[in-house]
Amino acid sequence: MMTAPQARPAVAPVTVTAPAPEPAPLLDVRGLTISYGNARGTLRAASDVGFAIRPGEVMGLVGESGSGKSTIAMAILDLLGGGGRVDSGEILFDGVDLRRLPAAERRALRGDRIAAVFQDPFTSLNPALTVGRQIAEPLIQHKSLSPRQAAARVLDLLAEVGIRDPRRVTAAYPHELSGGMQQRALIATALGCEPKLLILDEPTTALDVTVEARIIDLLAKLCDSHGLSALFVSHNLGIVNRICQTVTVLYGGLVVETGPTGRVLSRPAHPYSKGLVAALPRITAGRRHRLPSIPGTVAKLSGPPAACVFAPRCPFAEETCRSQPQAMLTDAAGDGVRCWKADALAGTPWPDEESAARKPAPQAPAQPTAPLVEVDHLRKVYGANRSILPWLRRAGTVAVEDVSFTVGRGEVVGVVGESGSGKSTIGRALLALTEPSAGTVLFDGTDLTRQVKQGDQDLRRRAQLVFQNSAASLNPRKTVGDAMDRPLVLAGRADAEERRKTVAGLLTRVGLPSAYADRYPHELSGGERQRVNIARALATDPDFVVCDEAVSALDVSVQANILNLLAELRDEMGLSYLFITHDIAVVSHIADRVLVVYGGTICEEGPTGRVLRPPYHPYTEALLSAVPRLAEDGQEAPRILLEDAAPTPGGQGCAFAARCPRKLGAICDEQAPPVHRADDGHRIACHIPLATLAERAAVFPELVGDAAH
Amino acid sequence: MTDATPAPLAPRRHLPSLPVSLIVGIVLLAPLAVAAVAGSWLAPYPYDEMNIMSRLQPPGPEFWFGTDEFGRDVFSRTLVGTGSSLVMGVAATALSLLAGVPLGLIAGYKGGRIGEAIMRAMDVLMSFPPILLGILVLAVTQPAQWKAIVAIGIVYVPQVVRLTRAITLELMQEEFITAARLRGENAAYILFHEILPNIWPPLAVEASLRVVFAILLGASLSFIGMGAQPPSSDWGLMISEARPFVEQAPWIALCPGFALATAVIGINLLGDGLRALLDPRNTGAH
Repeated sequence: MMTAPQARPAVAPVTVTAPAPEPAPLLDVRGLTISYGNARGTLRAASDVGFAIRPGEVMGLVGESGSGKSTIAMAILDLLGGGGRVDSGEILFDGVDLRRLPAAERRALRGDRIAAVFQDPFTSLNPALTVGRQIAEPLIQHKSLSPRQAAARVLDLLAEVGIRDPRRVTAAYPHELSGGMQQRALIATALGCEPKLLILDEPTTALDVTVEARIIDLLAKLCDSHGLSALFVSHNLGIVNRICQTVTVLYGGLVVETGPTGRVLSRPAHPYSKGLVAALPRITAGRRHRLPSIPGTVAKLSGPPAACVFAPRCPFAEETCRSQPQAMLTDAAGDGVRCWKADALAGTPWPDEESAARKPAPQAPAQPTAPLVEVDHLRKVYGANRSILPWLRRAGTVAVEDVSFTVGRGEVVGVVGESGSGKSTIGRALLALTEPSAGTVLFDGTDLTRQVKQGDQDLRRRAQLVFQNSAASLNPRKTVGDAMDRPLVLAGRADAEERRKTVAGLLTRVGLPSAYADRYPHELSGGERQRVNIARALATDPDFVVCDEAVSALDVSVQANILNLLAELRDEMGLSYLFITHDIAVVSHIADRVLVVYGGTICEEGPTGRVLRPPYHPYTEALLSAVPRLAEDGQEAPRILLEDAAPTPGGQGCAFAARCPRKLGAICDEQAPPVHRADDGHRIACHIPLATLAERAAVFPELVGDAAH
Repeated sequence: MTDATPAPLAPRRHLPSLPVSLIVGIVLLAPLAVAAVAGSWLAPYPYDEMNIMSRLQPPGPEFWFGTDEFGRDVFSRTLVGTGSSLVMGVAATALSLLAGVPLGLIAGYKGGRIGEAIMRAMDVLMSFPPILLGILVLAVTQPAQWKAIVAIGIVYVPQVVRLTRAITLELMQEEFITAARLRGENAAYILFHEILPNIWPPLAVEASLRVVFAILLGASLSFIGMGAQPPSSDWGLMISEARPFVEQAPWIALCPGFALATAVIGINLLGDGLRALLDPRNTGAH
């Protein structure tokens, strides 16, 4: 909670106040220090943070998780929870220090002149109230509208955020709307009272990429047309690049760099910014590229920094960095950077590990022998009931419809799709965690599901899974060593001492100290836990690993780390992966072949290089165009914005028809699309003739020349 | 591996420091435990010695907590009754856990028809008023304390089953269970090595509350003549017997009531402390 107003520190040594020639900043944060305290100690979530947002400006606040960016957003909203406390500093909104205002006045500002949109639309709306009522609430509260007036205004607002049938949506309950629609409704709520400042805390992180693209477009348009200022909290530099004019980079609760977005992202001055930009996964045609990454974990301060906070992870660090805290250096243009070497490093990029660590990559098996995994006409329906009693019969929900593919030995197959595309179901069926409704899954020539049913678990151990949620996939009451020991026991290794050595070896293998065997999962960071998950999967000595969104929950810097590890393990142990993800950029780094799935069907399949080049399936094209890019990556192709509609799996026609921007007509709804096949295994399921598809301009023109791949 | 430089290892803690609630709980329960074991030797008077001349004496130097309507020393009776009361509570709770936890685990893990069958059987059991169920068990045979314990244990089985099943169902969704299935664990291992350790903390809290309810239910059974038999002493029985005299001689209920409250708070704190101690996330400070 906020403490009583205190005198401002006499000197705010590193406050970054932009020169602000014309308008005074709408939001001016100065010397903000926030700490979380409990009996175990104090954690400084923000140290002397300063930034300014001018009217009509959108500022990005970026950093890894744990960098303090959400804490600052919450402090501005006066919604700090969990023992958080503003120790000092000023939050000037329109020239008034919010911290000096009485609580009632602060509350009146919130939702009225300062509005917020949070990360997860699925929990931000009350499931028991209609959407219309929730949007009307602040109008009645702050603008004293009558319920009737409010209802009329709600319809206008919904139309403004791009909802085509506002009447239906006002009467709907949240669960009846898609994630994108829910987030639009929340944006409408935020806009209702015509605020001057929007706090956007990762507003698109929980959404699918194609939906994200549309929401970002909407937000940019709204900020422009209403002259809104916004604080845009995000870990995604590509998104920040699209919407923000200025950007402030946070690390360990300190501002390390600030400046115009274009400059910061194309010529980052602080080593941390360099690392973040370098680690962003970009579309590449070649697999086996080691992604640049930032080693180590985010700094946690308990008091004022005694040295440069980033020094332990900085490849450019010198003795001075480790002994002296860094001051914010401001240049003539008002850009700030907290690094004394910034000028010297101006031309130095983040070190590329590839040149140092690259090994001659073993050639992917040119003509694989028998494939390791064969999926033949897989179909999975949930909730179906084929009772003899007609009133109990239910068709169920189709998750996967007639999917066939193979995974070769030592091959990495990427499965790209959005939520609800059936990609996780495919992975679970391959591991005999769910029984196919029809079709077969052969693992090394054997029906795995049948084997498991008969109680034979030996074969199953050769196929493992790495989960998305690194915390939930480890038993909180078992040490890392216990979790990894168990598969060895099951494999019949009796000698405890020998098992301990194996565990230590596996930990070392995934880049963790062997002493981690005694640790509990909660003592590790997200990236470390994911390494443990990988090590545990390897303990059964598998041939095949399904990675189900294995890097999606991780920060970009850590994501790159884990991707590099997976690529290394594949090269050294000859593993096959089914790499399931929503991020086509990530898949382009690791997969030999890619399946693009939509609504439970495969739209496009082929060698990675082929899928990334035209001819594209219209859905692949939309996915590619949604991949965020930085200025230096070249001109952004026009984005393909998809309609916000649910897929229609299990129907007669093409599952993508409802959202397809290139829909031909009734044929798409009524007939299953024909499959265009090429000799190299590339296939596209679409009614549009292949020649027409091939005419489209490439989303990533730089990949087209790379025909050798 | 060049891309991971793990944070330097913090020194491993070997013994987590004891939670404060655990220590307070032990401090409160220690004298009760002494009384339970050595009550009859410590008591200043025999618990069943009646003295018509000193009926309903208020607390004083002779009788520290007064006397009851038969002139028996309330303090001595409380001391002597400690054992039977605590045994009643703890044994009945242990019994309900012993039966309830495995049933709850199976109901949560198996689901389907087996799960339904277990849960519906529990519903039937719950629909009986506890006293009636106690009477049912005891009415057919001679009353005895161990029978009261069994009756109370059975009464509390459904609550334990429901709690265990609810937590099991939640844990079944966790990915570490999927991971266990993937490496080919059998159901018994998953239930007892993956799920059970995660059930103990809420169960410990639940059990500490159950002990209290069991003592009180035991008193009710004693009151209707089904549990401890007069003139034997039992806290619940003493409180029940004090009821007619509550206006004339409120002290009769005071001493056993105070003992019961101490036990309740002590066991609760003990349970909470155990929960904290068992949690690997516990780093000591509470």
